[in-house]
Amino acid sequence: MAYTDLQSLLREMLVIREFEETADKLTLRGKVPGGMHNSSGQEAVAVGVMSALAADDVIATTHRSHHHTLAKGFTPNEIMAELFTKATGVSKGRGASMHLGDFKRGHFGGNGIVGAGVGIAMGAAMGIHQRGDKNVSVGFVGDGGLNTGRTWESLNMAVIYKLPFILVVDNNQYAVETFVGRVTGGNDPAKRASGFGLPSFNIDGNDVLEVQKYTAEARERAVAGEGPTFINALTYRYNGHNVGERGQYRTQEEIADWREHKDPIDRFTAYLLSTGDMSQADLDSMKASVHAEIEAAVAFAESSPEPDLSTLTDGVDSGLLGAK
Amino acid sequence: MEEVFVPALGMAMDNAVLLEWLKNPGDPVAAGDVIAVIETDKTTLDLTAETGGVLGKHRYQPNDEVPVGNTISVVLAPGEVE
Ligand SMILES: Cc1ncc(C[n+]2csc(CCOP(=O)(O)OP(=O)(O)O)c2C)c(N)n1
Ligand SMILES: [Mg+2]
Repeated sequence: MAYTDLQSLLREMLVIREFEETADKLTLRGKVPGGMHNSSGQEAVAVGVMSALAADDVIATTHRSHHHTLAKGFTPNEIMAELFTKATGVSKGRGASMHLGDFKRGHFGGNGIVGAGVGIAMGAAMGIHQRGDKNVSVGFVGDGGLNTGRTWESLNMAVIYKLPFILVVDNNQYAVETFVGRVTGGNDPAKRASGFGLPSFNIDGNDVLEVQKYTAEARERAVAGEGPTFINALTYRYNGHNVGERGQYRTQEEIADWREHKDPIDRFTAYLLSTGDMSQADLDSMKASVHAEIEAAVAFAESSPEPDLSTLTDGVDSGLLGAK
Repeated sequence: MEEVFVPALGMAMDNAVLLEWLKNPGDPVAAGDVIAVIETDKTTLDLTAETGGVLGKHRYQPNDEVPVGNTISVVLAPGEVE
């Protein structure tokens, strides 16, 4: 994904939304082994952050990672195929929804352990620092991960070594069925983080340009040797924690309020139409091309082969010890 | 035409058992109406219509095992045929 202009930000958010809603239906049909976590509603966090990064900057993410991965520049084809655990998937069908990644492209993976992406990304920042590269590493965590020790241990380490690190809280306000305000002492993540001695911000995670701006400034500081930044981006998850969840921990009114009045795609669409950066005709053709791209990704995943049995032990070790 | 199907809800769920039909072929159906009740390895579940219309054929009978993802009936909009 090259973020060349404002329209490209909107297009990528549309790709993520259509990817998620399509994959959600396929999961209910039993096509996605292991299931998935839908990120609909959280597009602006992913696209805002990635559009402020260089292509060779590093990210590490969470169990809810399709949006981060697509926004980082991975194609719907390779991600959909991975959800189907096909050989053409980004992790060669070994990873499924929760283990998307490719070290060579600066994606150090999603994973199923709440908070782990922060530690992994902090380690990557340490590597960047050691080598003296002009890059940053971004660790994503959910609001649930705000109350995990690893998050704060990693942040402290990044502060004392002035690492080129950005911690982004993809704060969708719920950890499964637990509301963030009920379990977060102080109820002010940026204030909590600032106690560690770094620039810390609570921002509107449904405003793609605001997310982009705070990330770009954090990146500038990091590359200049000024150390890490903490960004808590407030957003909302429209669907259940995982596909198939039938939760009753929040009201339909609450969900409808976010969907109808605070949607990141609707807001940015209205903005681009009002400034004249996009015409209605641009929007219509963009939507059609996104739709075709996701349809093609499903066809690609459906028609791709399963991993061949002969490749069973591939990737189990580095190969450096002499094993195949 | 809306397909009413057995959703994959758990990590290791392969089949469900159809317990009961609450609507018959030709019955009018409103969005939110419970069409059938199924049982999975963890729970019983109401399958509801998302749209309104008329119910199509029963593709399974009570006590049948239904593979996850399979369609058990359809809700037909006016003018649609199965
Ligand atoms: C260390 C750890 N504890 C508990 C879990 C179980 N678990 C999986 S997802 C989740 C909620 C995470 O919520 P949040 O961090 O807000 O991310 P979100 O799902 O909202 O994206 C929990 C508790 C886990 N995977 N890892
Ligand atoms: Mg959350």
